[in-house]
Amino acid sequence: MATKTVNVSKPYTWSEKIYLLAIVQGLLITLKHFINGFFLRKHNTIMYPEVRREYSDRFRGAHFISIDRNKTENCTACYLCQTVCPAECITIVAGERESAHNPDGVKKEKQPVKFDIDALRCCFCGFCEEACPKDAIKLSGKYEMAITSREEAKYDLVYLKREVKGRG
Amino acid sequence: MCNNIKIDGEAVEFVQGDTILQAAERAGKGHLIPRYCYHPGLPIAGTCRMCTVEVEKMPKLMTACSTIATDGMVVNTKSERVLKSRAGVMEFLLTNHPLDCPVCDKAGECELQDNNYRYGPVTSSFLEEKRVYSKAATKKLSPNITLNMNRCVHCERCVRFTEEVVKSCDLMMINRGWHKELTLSDEKLGLTSNYQGCLSDICPVGAHTFNDFRFKKRSWFLEQYPSVCDRCSKGCNISVHSENGVVYRFKPHYNEKVNGHWICDEGRLSYHQVMDATRIVKPLLAHEGSLKSTSWELAGAAVNYLITSASKVKVVIGTDATNEEMKYIQASLPDKFGKKFEFSSYCGYGEDKKLDHMLMMKDKTPNSNGASACKLNHLDGDLVGDCDVAILIRYGRSGVPQVKNCKKIIIIGVWTQKEIGSFGTNVEVVLPGLATTEKSGTYINCDGVSQNFSPAIAHLGEGLAVNSIISFFKK
Repeated sequence: MATKTVNVSKPYTWSEKIYLLAIVQGLLITLKHFINGFFLRKHNTIMYPEVRREYSDRFRGAHFISIDRNKTENCTACYLCQTVCPAECITIVAGERESAHNPDGVKKEKQPVKFDIDALRCCFCGFCEEACPKDAIKLSGKYEMAITSREEAKYDLVYLKREVKGRG
Repeated sequence: MCNNIKIDGEAVEFVQGDTILQAAERAGKGHLIPRYCYHPGLPIAGTCRMCTVEVEKMPKLMTACSTIATDGMVVNTKSERVLKSRAGVMEFLLTNHPLDCPVCDKAGECELQDNNYRYGPVTSSFLEEKRVYSKAATKKLSPNITLNMNRCVHCERCVRFTEEVVKSCDLMMINRGWHKELTLSDEKLGLTSNYQGCLSDICPVGAHTFNDFRFKKRSWFLEQYPSVCDRCSKGCNISVHSENGVVYRFKPHYNEKVNGHWICDEGRLSYHQVMDATRIVKPLLAHEGSLKSTSWELAGAAVNYLITSASKVKVVIGTDATNEEMKYIQASLPDKFGKKFEFSSYCGYGEDKKLDHMLMMKDKTPNSNGASACKLNHLDGDLVGDCDVAILIRYGRSGVPQVKNCKKIIIIGVWTQKEIGSFGTNVEVVLPGLATTEKSGTYINCDGVSQNFSPAIAHLGEGLAVNSIISFFKK
């Protein structure tokens, strides 16, 4: 079947061709922002880092692993976060906790020997937090995650076990 | 006489003496009847009450595992009474189960998990505190097995296994009801059998866990492929559990003619040799007194030079090579280089005999019978010697022969650094091959059963099958 092409674009009118109206409209917008900022002191920017924005409690920032009263991580290396992670950024190696450092007995006999999160791969979807049966892995409110090298983007267990108050 | 019972309205044939559950299994309807204490390799106990079904004209629900099927029986596995009974059993089992699935190694292949998803109640009416065995919360029964008594559902499969199958009577139940507890018959001896890994296989929950696999991997990550165990001449059928080319465990694969449902611990742990860090996985060539890694082409050219310049070459093939490999080597080498070869096989374990009443054999190589079927004579003594070049072909299982009066050795197959070190500086070329789990082929076991297998995992190194290796020896 032969295809029939129809041109639906319209030619410019005379008033559109000289652009005068559009230029005046644009200048009015600039004037509005100038008056708002210079005379009425209404700003859209903030003086970061002296002033900080408040984010919602549900904001998903840098990961952390919650710790119990003995400062032992709640994680039992069940691999559920690694299983559910769509970005495959979590790498866990499990092991047995030494009984000398384990006042909780059988509840915490399994421990993560290694728990690495590659923050560059992470898409901050929060699935790991949802999958965790022990409420161990969580996403904090921390949003300042700028780094100077790729190695720093690899969060290890020592970093993840940092003390976080509330949601950080 | 026609033997028929009806399961959920469908006629099913059975053999005289079958129970309802066995008849259902025979007809491929085993999944309709959940069970804990029943295991096809063990005697019937009828203690868990999970397999109860409704049989017409019988007033109460019957246990499918222990009720003998009779002609004309009408069985219902899905009636409301049955489902209510199953939910009740599940609720009782879960009253004391710790539900520590995140920590438990059985999670993902646990029968309690599976049955609870299918038949369990959503809620529990048990509000009291769960029973906790403080002493046996985690107890090492032996270097191989850890017991977590809190997870136990008292099916007694393990007790029946030690009593009836391996006959070591290591385990027994003490106390009754709420306090029922699994203990060792002799605390000092611990578990004594060589089939301890089977305890963790048959345990429907995570009470028995195999220490070698404990906390290594979650079961749902593992790919399973069937293979044949090459740790002894029995050739037990196994399934190889691996992820990304790394083997994490061997599990038995049912074969009525060879191993039934079981394998020994030695075979179960033999995957460590395949995954050995010192295994040679790159072709090596002797250069200035030491072995340096090289390319296949260079190694092949070196072998070509060694064989063409020699007048007498002795080839020793380990009895861990497959039939196909033995035949190929015997045919292709004379074809390429002429009649200067003398072939023999080498086992290194002496006369084969049974070590116990179950599976273990003295000959720790898989294919001694295959070597005689391929018309290979066993090496006289343990010595190879009086030749220009010796070619030793071996796949990690047979013994290492001694070499005398021969300065040039070519090594092919699965070897570790240590095994090659025994030849000193006489080794000229090392050509890595494929282990049993990585290749396909045929073994003939001690009873004459011929079993062929396919690759279960991909080889991560540069090792090649023997026909590819020989193709580098250009004429």
